[in-house]
Amino acid sequence: MSEDDIGLALQMRNVRKRFPGTIAVDDVSFEVYAGEVHALVGENGAGKSTLMKMLAGSFDDYEGQIFINSKEVKLHAPTTAKKYGIGMIYQELSLARPISIVENLLAGRLPRKGLLLDKAAARKQALALLKRVGLEIDPDLPIEDISPHEAQLVEIAKVLGNNPCILVMDEPTSALSREEVERLFAIIDTLRKRGIAIVYISHHLPEIFRIADRVTVMRDGKKIATKAIGEISREEIVQMMVGRSVKEFYKRDERQIGDTRLKVSGLSRFGFFHDVAFEAKQGETLGICGLSGAGRTELARVLVGLDRADEGRIELDGHEVQGRSMAEFLEKGIAYLTEDRKIEGLALRLAVDENILAPIVDRLSSSAVYSKSKGKSLIERLVAELAIYPPDPGRTVGNLSGGNQQKVLLAKWLASAPKVLILDEPTRGVDIGAKMTIHASIEKLAREGCTVILISSDLPELVGLSDRVLIMRKGHFTREMQYQECSEESLLLAANGDAAYGAVVGSAGEANGATAAGSAR
Amino acid sequence: MSDALDKRSLDSNSVGKIVNAAGSYGIALLLLALGALLQFTGVIHSFLSVQNMLNIVDTVALVGIVAVGMSFVTYSGHFADMSVPTTMGFTGYVCIELLRYGFIPAIIGALVVGLLIGLLNGFVVGKLRANPIIWTLAVNYVTMGVIRLIWVNKQIYPDMRGSGQEAVALFDNIYRFRFFNLIGLPVVILIILVIAGQFVMTKTTFGVKVKLTGSAFRAAKFSGINVERVIMAAFVLTAFTATISGLAVTSLSRVGAWYNGAGYDFKAVTAIVIGGMTLAGGRGSILGVLGGSLIIGILNNVMTLLGVGTFSQDMVRGAIFIAVVGVSAKSLRSLGRDDA
Repeated sequence: MSEDDIGLALQMRNVRKRFPGTIAVDDVSFEVYAGEVHALVGENGAGKSTLMKMLAGSFDDYEGQIFINSKEVKLHAPTTAKKYGIGMIYQELSLARPISIVENLLAGRLPRKGLLLDKAAARKQALALLKRVGLEIDPDLPIEDISPHEAQLVEIAKVLGNNPCILVMDEPTSALSREEVERLFAIIDTLRKRGIAIVYISHHLPEIFRIADRVTVMRDGKKIATKAIGEISREEIVQMMVGRSVKEFYKRDERQIGDTRLKVSGLSRFGFFHDVAFEAKQGETLGICGLSGAGRTELARVLVGLDRADEGRIELDGHEVQGRSMAEFLEKGIAYLTEDRKIEGLALRLAVDENILAPIVDRLSSSAVYSKSKGKSLIERLVAELAIYPPDPGRTVGNLSGGNQQKVLLAKWLASAPKVLILDEPTRGVDIGAKMTIHASIEKLAREGCTVILISSDLPELVGLSDRVLIMRKGHFTREMQYQECSEESLLLAANGDAAYGAVVGSAGEANGATAAGSAR
Repeated sequence: MSDALDKRSLDSNSVGKIVNAAGSYGIALLLLALGALLQFTGVIHSFLSVQNMLNIVDTVALVGIVAVGMSFVTYSGHFADMSVPTTMGFTGYVCIELLRYGFIPAIIGALVVGLLIGLLNGFVVGKLRANPIIWTLAVNYVTMGVIRLIWVNKQIYPDMRGSGQEAVALFDNIYRFRFFNLIGLPVVILIILVIAGQFVMTKTTFGVKVKLTGSAFRAAKFSGINVERVIMAAFVLTAFTATISGLAVTSLSRVGAWYNGAGYDFKAVTAIVIGGMTLAGGRGSILGVLGGSLIIGILNNVMTLLGVGTFSQDMVRGAIFIAVVGVSAKSLRSLGRDDA
């Protein structure tokens, strides 16, 4: 141990993890000081998750050394990792939905009075844990009755309950709204002051600049660099991540916008959205911007026939669309890319081609006999167009990286050749390479005359792709903005309420210039 | 990392499928060898006789016919149809009861009743999303009650109730008719059903939809597939094959009795899982299930020749079922697929 190692909470030296035929983490050295927030970034498949799984004790066959508080440890089992004070907060929550917050928080160490559960003590302990994350909520509620962001905070509280000295957070903000993110950052700050070493994984670069002390970039299983956050720019990080320069992320072509395709009037689903009216034209990309809970997804579900509207009309090419199932809407040409990829979007156990052809099983064959071969050229075209990797249509989708899964999901809806495609968070949680491909594909689709409705919380995405953005707030459309007036700031302010909006309209053009860099998360 | 996962996708490629399907035939061959060994060592007699082989094939046919239909329920991710036993019993009663109007009307009547049960199951499970096991189990008991209500706890025989002799003879022949004096009618029906089932499952749009539904119910629904109709069809197919097998069993025993189909639910499920079809749905093949039915049939026969009692036989089948489901769950979990 040299002088420099003092204060290192975690040190991974030349660690390597092989999978048959590939090296997922290749000779990586990674250090985190106590009281430091260390961002770990890289495209999907860069090896971040494998590195962190190593730390969580998921592998018993890694190479290299791991030191915790300058003592060498062998992290060969999850229980060992936990014993050494390593806490993991995953993107996907590990809470049991039907049971109460108390029971989730104190799972495995519920206080007892003799043989019986000491409910009062449990409640008290739970409240203390919740207070640490600033969540005021009845701890007897089951997880399924609280909102996703509250669940995220409960998850954090649960992990903190084990008093970790090293805390790994994997995309902790993906389910949070902006205010909640701020609250989370305040919590992270407190933890940092208490001397906890925090590894923060995120695709969201502005967050990293906001919260991290240092950043480590990984690519293709190797560490590219570790830098203090003040010594590096967003553009540099992005370049290290992708290994290429990301100029002209969104190049706006002249678009051909045609006649009205979709006309919605007086549409309401009570309790979710009210009296919504808009028109979307052929070849137009219409963005819908709103905070979480504004009713965006609920609107989409009605537009595609999953839920029924209480009032109002949906017209496609001048004819009212009615139907009781999504299948009927799909037949008429309205397709929906769901926000949820793993359950609603893809059949993870099936192959790429089987997933892509799923919406057109009937269209592909004129008789009851299924001819997959008819879809072969279509699949080859889509796999090539979206650069799905590996380019093997027979590959099981669950084995692809998140970005490639998302591409398959888009390919599936492109295959159905829709007249109106509703995209709900089409690039959530995917790496920048996949994102660029998906965006290019969406633009191409619009150029070919499809009406694209883009629901996204990714502001640069909305700014870059939309011809027009509708602002949705608390179940109402409150404003419409042409793309010239759109910027990350103007959209955000509009989504948060109109009062603040006027102040930034003037600076919109200026802010647009920063979009390309900002979108590179 | 993707290469590391190649092994995981093995069971989803065609080679894996053949190995999976061939596996059950391998076990069937091993069981045959075991029977032969037991005969050579003098523990059992006449295992290798032509008559005994025919016995085995006939048993396989009765189980296999049910299993082929029920495979579609399993493949669609809805585990099993537990209403099979009384569907078989009920349709047997109906057929005998209607024999006095002639053979064909009796068969049609039985099929209609069977299809109604299938439609009911399909509607409640597919449309109302009831738990398939619990619902079909309940239907099983309700049907049993209906049988006892209608026929006041009595068994009925084909030659009573003034049925024509010709119709009775035809009915007797459902099980007893042999092509070339060798291959029984149920065996031929099984072969036809296996070929048709394999074709439907792998080569038709319906088969693709069942696979999608079984692999990822919500994703299938969100892809615009009418999952309700798919599930309904799967249960109707099961009821259809259960009716056929029920008629064969009733023809064999020459009596309409509520217990005619007893045990066929579990035998069929066991054949299905031994045949490599996972209970989680979307994986497996009808050819594999035929192999599974062969195993059940040979096992039955060997145990009977050994003098193992009926209840002990049930126990052995139960143990095998647990072992197969346990092993496949474990292997899937070790491959990172704990969803099965």
